[in-house]
Amino acid sequence: MKRPLARAGIVAAFVVLAGIPWIASPSIVQFGINMLLLAALAQGWNIIGGYTGYASFGNSVFYGLGSYGTAIAMLRWHLPFGIGLALGTVIAVIFAALFGRAILRLRGHYFAICTLGLAEVMTAIVSNLEITGRNTGLVLPLLRGDVLFYELSLALVVVATLIVAWIAHSRFGYGLIAIRENEEAAAAMGVDTTRYKVLAFSLSAAISALAGGIHAYWITFIDPVSAFDIGLNVKMIIVTVFGGPGSILGPVLGAFVLSGISEVLSTEISTVAGLFFGAVIVVAVVFMPRGVADLIRRFDKYRWRYFAENVRANRL
Amino acid sequence: MSEPLLAVRDLGAGYGEMPVLHGIDFEIREREIVAFVGSNAAGKTTLLRALSGVLPHTGQTRFAGEDISGLPPDRIFALGLVQVPEGRQLFGQMTVQDNLLMGAYRRSGRLDLAQDLERVYTLFPVLKERRRQFAGSMSGGEQQMCAMARALVASPRLLMIDEMSLGLAPAIVDQLLDVLVEIRGQGVTVLLVEQDVFSALRVADRGYVLESGAIVREGSARDLGDDPEVQRAYLGV
Repeated sequence: MKRPLARAGIVAAFVVLAGIPWIASPSIVQFGINMLLLAALAQGWNIIGGYTGYASFGNSVFYGLGSYGTAIAMLRWHLPFGIGLALGTVIAVIFAALFGRAILRLRGHYFAICTLGLAEVMTAIVSNLEITGRNTGLVLPLLRGDVLFYELSLALVVVATLIVAWIAHSRFGYGLIAIRENEEAAAAMGVDTTRYKVLAFSLSAAISALAGGIHAYWITFIDPVSAFDIGLNVKMIIVTVFGGPGSILGPVLGAFVLSGISEVLSTEISTVAGLFFGAVIVVAVVFMPRGVADLIRRFDKYRWRYFAENVRANRL
Repeated sequence: MSEPLLAVRDLGAGYGEMPVLHGIDFEIREREIVAFVGSNAAGKTTLLRALSGVLPHTGQTRFAGEDISGLPPDRIFALGLVQVPEGRQLFGQMTVQDNLLMGAYRRSGRLDLAQDLERVYTLFPVLKERRRQFAGSMSGGEQQMCAMARALVASPRLLMIDEMSLGLAPAIVDQLLDVLVEIRGQGVTVLLVEQDVFSALRVADRGYVLESGAIVREGSARDLGDDPEVQRAYLGV
């Protein structure tokens, strides 16, 4: 973002977002927390999926580990929330680094399927451990403070976006993009592909785990099925693909727009809401596979031809 | 005589249980063009993969005075041993210019990239015309030029090229061979791995013949070209 106008716009949007919980109704604040957490999750997925090109279904695992890490630290060991959150994040990062070394050797569909399996396995493990409360889950101490959770979630979105902005313009990020575009070529150009992929996966895990921890304390109840929900991972992907994978603001934009529309739909006509995300992904992939971010960048030049060009490029 | 740029002693490599190369000994001196020729499955690509550190190997390899056996590929690359991989391996959805800039990925310090680009554009003028085009949309010959140019932007000391002539028209191959001679003049040493024995030996100073994973003949390019055994086996005469 070099244009000062755009930068001022982003800062203004941030100030408005930060001010919302002091003026809006509780239900809007709650909607806002969900929306912001989804934006953070999407931004986390953007690092491994959007920039590095590895379609991960394992981010919901990191989210779950963050939730459980926070909950266990607070309940079993009576640690404060902040330390619990840090602990959950560390666990997720260690998990990502260890498993990443092994499974990031797989490419394309194989990587996706393997991470999908990871989520199923975690649900099974957590359902059978005493410390995690087996399949009944854990109930966290109640804290009435939606404003706090809202601001925390907003802070997470900002931090995640700053990390992605740094990635987009750093040597590390160029290495990730090179891996996405052609991994053999990246290796031939001296990119340490294994280390970069593991780092990207771990960063992605850290952001997901932070979102999981915040969500767990806010919602005060977690169980294996909801903590390791693949559906949440699919949502991250849809939101990112809609907004623009491999762009800085795309995932956040995607999360805001789609959360908004889906919220309106589910209150007005609840039967249609379920179909919504499915329809969005089909339309987005066909008409704007590079997301809203790319659409905004190029619409001036191409106008309505933009969609036709994409359809043609897809050879549909 | 000074130390050779690359010295390989008793190199062996393979995939899993299957050994491919064994007892490989050779040297490449500064500013030489050396060709490794051999038929399919002789172990040519395996040799390059072992040298660039992608494939684990036994034996000792010294490059520019340093022991590089066991170093990770990115470190070996940073020392100036750069490979142009078989099948070009371009970033197809990136422009030619961005591909070339990727060549500078590992370099540090203040770089005059504009000058580096100008230097490779002088070698391959067609790339300058196509610099804003997607690399994947060019012809095979142009893609090979782009891959070589990208490797040159990495400022290699030793450029290893795998099957440069693969699938290219003879006229293009001639053009690329001329470029090899020119970059040697600029101080870059070249290791060329080729199935096309005739082309490779035409520009090389020396050559090695690989067969079933071992060096079976070595000598000056002229001697090898005249060797009736080599001619019989690879030129079909």
